Amino acid sequence: MIVISLLYLFLVGVSSLEAGIKALGADFQTGLLERVDHPLAGLFAGILATVLVQSSSVSTSTIVGLVGAGTLTIDAAVPMIMGANIGTTVTSTVASLGHVRRGDEFRRAFAAATVHDIFNVIAVAIFLPIQLGTSFLSDTAEKLADALGASGIEGGKTDSPIKAFVKEPVSWTKDAFGSLTDSDEVLGSLLIVFGLVLIFSTLAFITKSMRLLIAERVERAMNSLISRSGGVPGLAMGLVMTIAVQSSSITTSILVPMVGSGVLTLRNAFPVTLGANLGTTITALLASLAVDLRAGLVVALTHSIFNLFGILTIYPVPAVRAIPVRLAERLAETASKNYLLVGAYVVGIFLVVPMIGLVLFG
Amino acid sequence: MVFELFRRGDAAGLEAAEAKLIQMLADDRHSFDVATSALLTGADTSLVGPDLRETDARVNLAERELRQALVVHASVHGTSRVAAILVYMSVVKDVERIGDYAKNIFDVAAQGINLSDAEDRDVLIRYRDRISSMISEASSVFADDDRDGAADFIREADILLDEFDQHVSELVVTEREGKEAVPRALLYRYYKRIVAHLMNLLSAVVMPLDRLDYFDEERVRP
Repeated sequence: MIVISLLYLFLVGVSSLEAGIKALGADFQTGLLERVDHPLAGLFAGILATVLVQSSSVSTSTIVGLVGAGTLTIDAAVPMIMGANIGTTVTSTVASLGHVRRGDEFRRAFAAATVHDIFNVIAVAIFLPIQLGTSFLSDTAEKLADALGASGIEGGKTDSPIKAFVKEPVSWTKDAFGSLTDSDEVLGSLLIVFGLVLIFSTLAFITKSMRLLIAERVERAMNSLISRSGGVPGLAMGLVMTIAVQSSSITTSILVPMVGSGVLTLRNAFPVTLGANLGTTITALLASLAVDLRAGLVVALTHSIFNLFGILTIYPVPAVRAIPVRLAERLAETASKNYLLVGAYVVGIFLVVPMIGLVLFG
Repeated sequence: MVFELFRRGDAAGLEAAEAKLIQMLADDRHSFDVATSALLTGADTSLVGPDLRETDARVNLAERELRQALVVHASVHGTSRVAAILVYMSVVKDVERIGDYAKNIFDVAAQGINLSDAEDRDVLIRYRDRISSMISEASSVFADDDRDGAADFIREADILLDEFDQHVSELVVTEREGKEAVPRALLYRYYKRIVAHLMNLLSAVVMPLDRLDYFDEERVRP
């Protein structure tokens, strides 16, 4: 019951965000769009935003809200979604630093964390150019949205009972804030802040609650993972776990100490990580239920399809599957001999490169 | 594997660790009984040996599995259960060592030593029977987290340790031949170590984490 209530409040938050952006007017929306118009700017913005909030669920839900409000186009949003995929891996990478005092343990833990980074970077390197050249991912998402029966009225509003249920408290909030100010900018800002706080806090509580609720089952599943090879069952486990706790970082942060201590191999942890990558897209899909435009659903589906195709491209063939694993092992081997490299990697990949990228391309 | 996420079922985490520890103690008692049967009642070592090796392999595997389970438990639950995890990490070693000393006792028998006709056989068997019972008692006391039971156990065990030390001291200065004195000294030594490891196990019931394996007089005083 608590989790359902929190999910409802999460949707209210997304809807508030959407309402706030609309209240800020067309000029703000145009300005924001211009800043992330370049796909690499969008990619780096997605990385940076996710690193700052430490949650791809928050950042992708926000992106869906922006698309739902008409502020971002699908084409602008897709690179940001891909950036969110990369940015979310910072949590497990930082978690692996806790093992830094013990060489072999750190090497294994760091490899377990960075295999996630490397997989996402490879997936972006493959699919971002494809998306930019052919719109393959978003076109596939459009078709899927059609098949799902979303009423694709161009530029119009969709009707759904969930949206109607969510809009009510947003209207009350808007009226309440509206009574405090005559300025649309202030009203819009208040709604945006309110929406973001609600998104952030509800996801945090959902994650915490679900983690406690299913901890014992997760533990049993992890124990069974140790004694078997990961494979597709491991992938399914990562998917289901992450959907349940609404956080890929929780799933991957559990894997890091297990691999670090040596009870789980990197090769068995890898498919669980991939499952988590796919499972975390559920949050954006949920968020799309609360937005006006069908484009929100399309972006959310694009997120899922991107991760799914990433898995289908890299995982099935053993020789290809081994690439991110071996790269992670080599990176970890080097990092374990030179801890300065560790700091450079974390700060560089997750902060410096995105900031420079935003300056150059934004 | 993924179905474990949907199943209620067997205990996980620390409950599972405790169950494994109790099973290890049951195997330890079996190892001790069969090893001492070879030395004190003349059981055929060629028959006892395979049984003992199989039981020992089971104990070693259980130790590894228990440690793995503790790592998983810590990974899932974070630092909230760190004290209990550290306790199990410590005591599992004591339990595993009991099995090792049972093997050491068998090794004496495997050297051709047979004390089934010895004049002090009754004393040795009385100690054997008491220690065998104590392994089961320790298992129950630990499972029930019985503080009073643990304190009583430690007090009695402490007295036994002194008795074993006394026997070893007597054997050190005895005029008996080496082949009579040495097996007995080894046996008392192994008896002592087994009882000491049982005491270490139960120190987890009465002592704080940082003083595992140490015994506070105040905590075990009747």
